[in-house]
Amino acid sequence: MKATTNCQTIEILSLSDKQLRELSTKNVLSLSLAEMKAVQDYFRKLKRNPTDVEIETIAQTWSEHCKHKTLTGIIDYTEEKGTKKTKRTYNNLLKETIFKATMELNKKWCLSVFKDNAGIIEFDAKNGVAFKVETHNHPSALEPYGGSATGIGGVIRDILGVGLGAKPLANTDVFCFGNPHTKDSQVPEGMRHPKTILKGVVSGVRDYGNKMGIPTVNGAVYFDEGYMANPLVYCGTMGIIPKSKINKKVNSGDLILVVGGRTGRDGIHGATFSSIQLDQECDVNAVQIGNPIVEKKVLDTMLKARDLNLYRAVTDCGAGGLSSAIGELGEKTGALVYLDRVPLKYDGLVPWEIWISEAQERMVFAVHPKNKKRIVALFNKENVEAVFVGKFTKDKKLTLKYDSDVVASIDMFFLHYGIPKPIRPAVYKIKEENVQKPIKMNSASLLKVLKDVLADLNVCSKEWIIRQYDHEVQGQTIVKPLQCNSIEGSGPGDAAVIFPYTVAKGTKKGIVLSNGLNPQYGKINTYKMAANAVEESLRNAVAVGANIEKMSVLDNFCWGNPNNPKILGSLVRAANACYDMSKAFNIPFISGKDSLHNEYCIGTKKYSIPPVLLISAMGVIENVVHTVTMPLKNGGNKIFVLGITRNELGGSVLAKIKNVKGGVVPEVYPKESKEIMERIYKAINSGLVQSCHDCSDGGLVVAISEMAFAGDKGVKIDIDVIKTKGELSVAEILFSESNGRFVVEVNPENEFKFKGIFKDCIFAEVGCVTEDKNVVFESVKNKIKVKEKSKNLLNAWRNTITW
Amino acid sequence: MKKVKALILKTAGTNCDYETQTAFELCGAAADVVHINSLVEKKNKIFEYDILVFPGGFSYGDDIASGKILANEIKNKLGDKVKKFSLSGKPVIGICNGFQVLVKMGLLPDPELFEQTSTLYYNDSDKFECRWTYFKIEKKIRNESSCIWTKNLPDVITLPVAHGEGKFISINDKLLEELNKNNQIVFRYSTKDGKTPQYPLTPNGSVEQIAGICNTKGNVFGLMPHPERYVLALQHPSREGFDGKYGWGKIILQNAVDFVK
Amino acid sequence: MFEIEIFTKEGFKDSRGEHVLSKISEVEIKGITKVDYASVYIIDGDINKTEAKTIASELLSDKITEKFEISSNSDSKKSKSSVIEVLYKKGVTDTVSESVIKAIKDLGITKEVRVKTGHKYYLHGNISKTVLDKIAVKLLANTLVQEYKIK
Repeated sequence: MKATTNCQTIEILSLSDKQLRELSTKNVLSLSLAEMKAVQDYFRKLKRNPTDVEIETIAQTWSEHCKHKTLTGIIDYTEEKGTKKTKRTYNNLLKETIFKATMELNKKWCLSVFKDNAGIIEFDAKNGVAFKVETHNHPSALEPYGGSATGIGGVIRDILGVGLGAKPLANTDVFCFGNPHTKDSQVPEGMRHPKTILKGVVSGVRDYGNKMGIPTVNGAVYFDEGYMANPLVYCGTMGIIPKSKINKKVNSGDLILVVGGRTGRDGIHGATFSSIQLDQECDVNAVQIGNPIVEKKVLDTMLKARDLNLYRAVTDCGAGGLSSAIGELGEKTGALVYLDRVPLKYDGLVPWEIWISEAQERMVFAVHPKNKKRIVALFNKENVEAVFVGKFTKDKKLTLKYDSDVVASIDMFFLHYGIPKPIRPAVYKIKEENVQKPIKMNSASLLKVLKDVLADLNVCSKEWIIRQYDHEVQGQTIVKPLQCNSIEGSGPGDAAVIFPYTVAKGTKKGIVLSNGLNPQYGKINTYKMAANAVEESLRNAVAVGANIEKMSVLDNFCWGNPNNPKILGSLVRAANACYDMSKAFNIPFISGKDSLHNEYCIGTKKYSIPPVLLISAMGVIENVVHTVTMPLKNGGNKIFVLGITRNELGGSVLAKIKNVKGGVVPEVYPKESKEIMERIYKAINSGLVQSCHDCSDGGLVVAISEMAFAGDKGVKIDIDVIKTKGELSVAEILFSESNGRFVVEVNPENEFKFKGIFKDCIFAEVGCVTEDKNVVFESVKNKIKVKEKSKNLLNAWRNTITW
Repeated sequence: MKKVKALILKTAGTNCDYETQTAFELCGAAADVVHINSLVEKKNKIFEYDILVFPGGFSYGDDIASGKILANEIKNKLGDKVKKFSLSGKPVIGICNGFQVLVKMGLLPDPELFEQTSTLYYNDSDKFECRWTYFKIEKKIRNESSCIWTKNLPDVITLPVAHGEGKFISINDKLLEELNKNNQIVFRYSTKDGKTPQYPLTPNGSVEQIAGICNTKGNVFGLMPHPERYVLALQHPSREGFDGKYGWGKIILQNAVDFVK
Repeated sequence: MFEIEIFTKEGFKDSRGEHVLSKISEVEIKGITKVDYASVYIIDGDINKTEAKTIASELLSDKITEKFEISSNSDSKKSKSSVIEVLYKKGVTDTVSESVIKAIKDLGITKEVRVKTGHKYYLHGNISKTVLDKIAVKLLANTLVQEYKIK
């Protein structure tokens, strides 16, 4: 090995601790001192200094983004409740919580979990369905359009790169932004206005998703001041894959084929960059621009190659570029790569740049030499570039050549397992939650508050965003994001259902997608936030007709700096909630991802985001005919509220609007809610339910109002008969955000059968649907009567975001 | 009875090929998705088919303008074949991006002239929008138009649209007059009861609410909405359909298949 | 080198220009009465004026709704309005340019060309350079990946 004009040797053997740290910072390696020392030790044993290619390769492979070293590292956790302290050490938080639950549940229909680019569950006898959700926060903060576009492009490639490749059927997106109505003058210098970020992010997802021909069918947008500097952009993709194509295997001697986009200087240091807090001065190269049409061509052609069995393994080039992709595929065999053969966008890239560039739209394949000509011909026929750049060896080494020089030679074992495990302290102080002071409202103020809640950024219509996404492409979206009775009007659907009839010919089955998140709860209690997110995602799916016995979930943590013990402690709590909920609901986690270090500096002041756990749920529906939507259908039908309402206004929309201090964050009662969910499935499947809506942000009054205006109907609700835990005021009953509740519309003909299904559950018949289009909530006991035209409530709901 | 064969032409960025294929299969046709490169290689292959379909999507990313690059490519590489196919009277349809391609290469409204005389321009709202809306087939059209694609439809139907450039504009008023006179404007955006709609039911600001046109012979048809996305009642927002099972889009495609039979 | 600009013809709605105007009024900048939008294609290579004209009329502009202007690098244009031109920075992937190059070949012009694409905004009204900078940075260009020129 020698230094050439293209490749430098990096002096590391002689460096002091201080100098090692400096080197890590200067070269954007994002390696800790312990990690730098491990690298130093390794090269001391080899008795030579590393090349720049080698050190960059190690930095990429060991990055937070690729290795998840915080969640898989050692954590010394202390929990404080009053004066009581409990300690526990986690050797691998992920394996001891989320992953452990999945292992213990051991579902036969989980076909591939936590090992590939996405989780896969069984769809039918022939097919599986894969789901993955990713974040692209830092790039979206810098360049909202390019950042979010490459975010969606990247997660689509995860689906293309799972097993031998799945066909994407649907996208999801969840965003957290600052308040878009912030005054321009209140946006700190050097930051983009939240509305500018929002518009850019939405356009990026729109253009990439629409041009890929994948419908964006489910999502959420959450607004909070805490995301002004650091927006969160979650993108998910679900795809279908033949069961016979789920496993990949790389053999020694297989050729390495790079397919799709060319390599440029874009996205260099994206992986290591994601572990750094955002500064006003950022690495320009970290920004990538996507080209959906290139990725669409790759999708079309690679699935043909898959079905012709022309390759044995595939993975996508994501964070870390070729370095990560080839490093992963060749972990067990070794790999030899000729970097000068990689097709470039333009001249002037040095070997390490070629190797770690995160240029978009590239996939890496392992190809048996006998298929060499056929596979390249197949790609080229539709103008897709495909170039062999090396082969998988049997020496268990990663060897990189440029021209005829060897520019890197590292043991695969060291690369993948040489990273020292850090020990991080974590603490969590459980705060006591107390019921707020009584909230008094009369009929008039109640109506005003209802309209304010409907108009709140976190409740209001997101139609402006949703309509820009082609949620109908592929013709399989049979439960849509915006729901109504004819084709006009709109209400917020709980979950989306995809009926993959163009792929799985003759099927009756569908795939349900939903999500749950509520950062507001996390500000008070991250355990409850996580538990709520799991429950909400399931509730949303059940509301359209899903069977929770066939549901699976994904976790996505977006947190602040894990080096802060309090922040890490709140993460440990959330991970524990995931374990508990997974076990209690009997729902496996099948994949997940974390994005840490979400903080931003202005001057010397550090801003950390309110932590968020997004839970995305996917399930299989036996017969899509038995799915329902949320708009009320017919006057004269009865309205039931299933579940019990507790005094739980902590973190609620009402608490935010009325500036209520204190309050208890909704607790999840798994046994109670699971029982209701199982029975709703039974009721929907027996055709007894006309419409169904889950109760979440804003409470019961919001859920019922939404059903009314979405269906262009009226309702008459008797507040006094709603089942509550203890004596609650009208405001508490209507706006409490207790879990496990649904509003259901039932035809009187079916009332008897319906009640039979729920006979041991807590539920109440609370009113009926009317054709007069007035929404009426009445409590005779409290002398309260709220009456408003459903059209006016619709307008309150839909007029907040109209640009 | 012979199997009717449909050719669905695809290129980089085509993305409605799969569901269009499935929809034609549902109508009893055999449908092949053929990449433009292989058609350019074997140009006469086009005549092995009975129906020619330009499906929806974002051909070449809709760079420059929607459908423009594909229209340019087809005209320069396959122009005479496509023209011959169209003039032979066999059914030709352009859906959404396909409609944009037909208009921009000039196959519509007059395949004989084969010159661009109209366009589909940026929506008045300046954004891509996906929604369901109503389409009116006027009485005069139903009685007199030679359009083979729109037979057997009621006065008003529903279909989904999804586009950013769908505003129909003709080169001059004379052409518009002719289109009207010859019963070529077969689809107009409409309200539920067949009246002239406002935004958003007319999603793009098209002149005279034009949503779909055909040639005088009635075999070449272009439309902004997506019939292939509404062949099953299940695909409708509230699951409406005919025979309890199908959507209006199926009738449109079935018309062409039956015409060939 | 030819710079081809594509404008919406008079009498047709320039929705992209109007969109920018409404964005400007949203951020409370006053004094701008109208914005005309033009897409810009800079074509470099061994092509002559006739070929540039063919490219502009057959490919880059819409016959019904758009008009084009071609200037070669020697021309200096005078404009009554203030102009902000936004182009991608060197090295940033310009996906449209790749499509344009393909389409020029399809037209039968086989000479090697390089293409750069961008946007021009003609702002009418009385506007200071400071305000133009503000509009460019806040609304029209992301200076991380794009550069802008005020003319």
